[in-house]
Amino acid sequence: MAAAYLTHQQKVLRLYKKSLRHIESWCIFRDKYRFYACLLRARFDENKHEKDMVKATMMLKAGEEEFWANQHPQPYLFPDSPGGTSYERYECYKVPEWCLDHWHPSEKAMYPDYFAKREQWKKLRAQSWDREVQQLQAETPADGPKSEVLPPARREGDLPPLWWQFVTRPRERPM
Amino acid sequence: MASRALAHCMRSVARASARLNHGNVLTRSACAPLASDQRALSVLSCGQRTRWTDLVRISGPSVHLCRHYGDLPPLTLENIKERVMYVLKLYDKINPDKLQTSSHFMKDLGLDSLDQVEIIMAMEDEFGFEIPDAEAEKLMTPEEIVQYIADKKDVYE
Repeated sequence: MAAAYLTHQQKVLRLYKKSLRHIESWCIFRDKYRFYACLLRARFDENKHEKDMVKATMMLKAGEEEFWANQHPQPYLFPDSPGGTSYERYECYKVPEWCLDHWHPSEKAMYPDYFAKREQWKKLRAQSWDREVQQLQAETPADGPKSEVLPPARREGDLPPLWWQFVTRPRERPM
Repeated sequence: MASRALAHCMRSVARASARLNHGNVLTRSACAPLASDQRALSVLSCGQRTRWTDLVRISGPSVHLCRHYGDLPPLTLENIKERVMYVLKLYDKINPDKLQTSSHFMKDLGLDSLDQVEIIMAMEDEFGFEIPDAEAEKLMTPEEIVQYIADKKDVYE
């Protein structure tokens, strides 16, 4: 999503998704949930061909208010989602990769292949860093970046900017 | 999700009966993912356990023990792809014959953006983690969904 504002379609889809999730929290039996989900889908479908944006926005506003009135007090959240039970639970075990450089040589000797490869990757990173910074400086507008999205690599044989952070990001569930 | 757990239980029970060693450990790991309403399977595995305890004394242990401690079985790319295609075939607005990994939801399969939201929600339910809206609206083919899940879950990193 490039711009900071959501389009009407995106707002409608988000309302649809969260109202389905709250219906799922209210109707715990699957067949009952399916029935009310189909009803909701029919309600969204009959208005989806509205061309008048003013009316569509008024309907969206009414929909949001109805959602707020009927929301579940404790909706079902997935464990990994914000507010869930296991959200950021393993954050403390996600060690940054530069700690590998601080290992004792005897510990590093236990994994010689890995550390040899790591040296090559670090050389590659050192080589491509200047070009990445150049590309980012060229592509960022004067007031500052508009969004967090990073541009892809533009030239052939070049690596995308700040690839090292992405490649060496910690695992989902650290060992 | 339930069908996958059931298939995994059947496979682990079949594997356990082939190995004849450490019957107790394997039934424990087979019983672990069982839900409370799958009573038939638990009866089956309880019945087999009594047979294995007699045979355990005979052969010596040389089996690689792997305890999952209530964790799900590890994901592989093929497994993710299988599950994604299975869920998509269950959806009634998709023709299962025309479905392929590269079929676009809007262009090839003629689905709506509301349908795409429902599909993403089904994927969230299948794999048990939330896909945020900003990234969900970009996932338009099963291939992209598989890649996104593999990216999030560090499969074949």
